[in-house]
Amino acid sequence: MTASPQLDPTPASITDPRETIISSEDLGMVFAAGSVVALQEVNFEIKRGEFISLIGPSGCGKSTLLRIVAGLLTPTGGTLSVKGEPVTRPRPDIGMMFQKPTLLPWKSVMDNVMLPKTLGGRVTKEDKEKAVALLHLVGLEGFEFSFPGQLSGGMQQRVALARLLNTGAEILLLDEPFGALDEFTRERLNVELLRIQREVKATILFVTHNIQEAVFLADDVFVMTPRPGRLTEIVDVGLPRPREMAMMKDADFNQRVFEVRDILGGTI
Amino acid sequence: MSTQDRAGSTDRSGVPHWAQHLLVFVIFISIWEMAVQFNWVSALILPSPFAVIVAWWDLAITRGIIWGHFFTTLTEVLVGFIVGATFGIGVAILSAINMTFRRLVSPYMVALQVTPRIAIAPIIVAWLGFGMEPKMAIAAIICFFPMFINALTGLMQVDHENLEMFESMRASKWQIFRHLQLPGALPVIMAGFKTGISLALIGAIVGEFVSASEGIGVLIQRFSFQLLLPEAFASLIMLTAMGLFLYGLATFADRHIVFWRHSDLVNKISRRMRAKNAGLAGIKPLE
Repeated sequence: MTASPQLDPTPASITDPRETIISSEDLGMVFAAGSVVALQEVNFEIKRGEFISLIGPSGCGKSTLLRIVAGLLTPTGGTLSVKGEPVTRPRPDIGMMFQKPTLLPWKSVMDNVMLPKTLGGRVTKEDKEKAVALLHLVGLEGFEFSFPGQLSGGMQQRVALARLLNTGAEILLLDEPFGALDEFTRERLNVELLRIQREVKATILFVTHNIQEAVFLADDVFVMTPRPGRLTEIVDVGLPRPREMAMMKDADFNQRVFEVRDILGGTI
Repeated sequence: MSTQDRAGSTDRSGVPHWAQHLLVFVIFISIWEMAVQFNWVSALILPSPFAVIVAWWDLAITRGIIWGHFFTTLTEVLVGFIVGATFGIGVAILSAINMTFRRLVSPYMVALQVTPRIAIAPIIVAWLGFGMEPKMAIAAIICFFPMFINALTGLMQVDHENLEMFESMRASKWQIFRHLQLPGALPVIMAGFKTGISLALIGAIVGEFVSASEGIGVLIQRFSFQLLLPEAFASLIMLTAMGLFLYGLATFADRHIVFWRHSDLVNKISRRMRAKNAGLAGIKPLE
């Protein structure tokens, strides 16, 4: 095992904000002994601090791509590199969040958020205070010692987000994190996610099947198409930040939404 | 459990639930007593509730001879259950973490499941003699299987995304077992406790029936042979009481080990944790 040079990445480690942090070269993934081509010739570069939305219909390989970046799956062709090194296993500077909150119901909200620290060794008072601060950041002040079963779905995902931030990862992979929530909760969490990203200066890969959500959040929208899974087009959103819900009424915003829909239209 | 019959709960009739239960009990006992008093059934076959109470009073209070038997059986059940549960959960853990082990033991597990385990009682008695040990062994063997199967089911039902979450945090196999697999299996393991402890009681009684000089099973057999049915019934009631006590014990353990399934306990624990960590920066005390 090659020890990673950055065990606790902090925003201070950012030297060149426009440096490429993730790159994919002819990435391919074939499942079930050659019968299912999940990904084919996927090429892209992601710069540090970018917010990328990954959109496409079911079976386009977006979740597979995310799991390759996470080091949970090994590609069958090409290379996926983070900071110039091919990813072969989960890395400390990459964290992942899922559609389900994946909280441990027997641990308090605090203890769930501290899970990355618990796995890393002993939990200190500083770790606890960091967890409290993260819970405040995601808007869960006063719920530190509640249990997951007492929280709504939206609040559970906030806990999951705080836990993700507590891994100290600077690359955050989000697999339809708000997909199971109602529309209002999802919109509010999206706005908050952008605020949090500004604060922690993370690079984010966000999988969704909601076009408006994809455009609203991203710098670039990666549009993927299925059978075989390909990265068909990269749409540069180019809308100003910070973004607010009101922006969804703008002509420019809707222009981008139509653009993405057109690309997807031929495939669905 | 939210559907649990809580003391003081009522329904549309306005009659509290405990009163309804009491009414049914009184009717049941009255019919039984009348059946004997009016000779619908011979008192030799079915002793009246009153006769049973008199017999119980004699055995438990006046002569007090039943308690030694009671605690003999209880000890057999508890030791047998602890041994059976330890082995059952232990083998389940080994099976859950090692596929080869699981493959190799599974035929024996199936064999153990399809064999009527009670039939092994005479053999165990032949091996271990007439003391408490064979009863403990029979109780252990009978409750081993449900404990094993519940623990294995619980340990194997790990959610895929939860597992990926742990892997993405680079958790070791041991950490995944310790923080995800084992606690996640506890609800199913504890459900097995309730079945297992009742089966352990059956095992101990069967052992006593086969051969013993002490225990409630011995009393029931002896009184029945002598046609002392009020005494036999009084002994049986002691077993019902023991069963209820054991079931209560399992329920208590379940509530406190799988506390997160019980909202009243969760609220209490949550408040206690908040109070304990009140000194932490950023924590507001409860108003």
